Amino acid sequence: MSNEQQQTPFERRAGEMLRDSADSLDAATRSRLTQARHAALEGISARPAWLDFRVLAPGGAVAAAAVVAVLMWTGPMQRPAGETGAFDDIELLADADAYEISQETDLDFIECAAAMGEQDVAGT
Amino acid sequence: MSFCPATYASVTLPTVEPTAHALNTFLASVERRAYRMAQIALRHEEDALDAVQDAMLQLARRYARRPSEEWRPIFYRILQNRIRDLQRRRAVRSRVLAFLPWGGEGEDDSDPVERAPDPAPGPAAEVEGGEIGVALQRAVSLLPARQREAFLLRNLEGLDVAETAAAMGCSEGSVKTHYSRAVHALREQLGEFMS
Repeated sequence: MSNEQQQTPFERRAGEMLRDSADSLDAATRSRLTQARHAALEGISARPAWLDFRVLAPGGAVAAAAVVAVLMWTGPMQRPAGETGAFDDIELLADADAYEISQETDLDFIECAAAMGEQDVAGT
Repeated sequence: MSFCPATYASVTLPTVEPTAHALNTFLASVERRAYRMAQIALRHEEDALDAVQDAMLQLARRYARRPSEEWRPIFYRILQNRIRDLQRRRAVRSRVLAFLPWGGEGEDDSDPVERAPDPAPGPAAEVEGGEIGVALQRAVSLLPARQREAFLLRNLEGLDVAETAAAMGCSEGSVKTHYSRAVHALREQLGEFMS
């Protein structure tokens, strides 16, 4: 003890007796303490518990099940009315004329020209 | 891009092997006293072994990479907590048993081990039989928990006041008070035999 000088004889004697009793443990107890120590030391090299696959796997499965449940609950994604999607873009790209028309800003003029063209065809 | 070897040489990376070796040495140096401490507190050999093993495991898993000079107070802090857990569990068990129809007649909330009849003949007879050590352990085990912790940590393990305070999770002033009361109580019971 670091402050043994300050201890009374009673305290010193008590300390000696307690330490003697600890040093005189029976062989079976000493053996079990050694086994416990070795088991504890194995824990140092082990990966953290949260990295263990057995811990992660159930969590991942629950998360995946939750995602599937949410998707099934909400149903297939509905596109808002009026919004053009990727399928329309493919059609535009495939039709060169349509693509050029889509780039025009004066759609009223184009509609008017188209109507006049139809009238000409009907007139002939 | 150029590397400066001196900079890399000065970096010390933690490695498992030296830590395991140092921790093994540390645990081997404290395990017997830790066991005796737990056994005096719990008065049950199997529970004492469980408490020490749990403390070792927790120290190795959570605190092995802390500086080795911190291990001792941390280890004893864990051990004291574990001892308290086991004592609490016993108290809960006795409370549950008290509700059961086939048991618990006249039970109270105290630790059943504490309530068990003490077959010992008492300090005087033990001293006469040359078992002063047994009498001392029995007297220490009957101290209030905090007094017992302070007395054993300081007298059996040899921690100083600051380390004892860290291990007990209280102030140094509290440690001094608990220790002083423990010594006073023990001296009253055993002083005449140990002088």
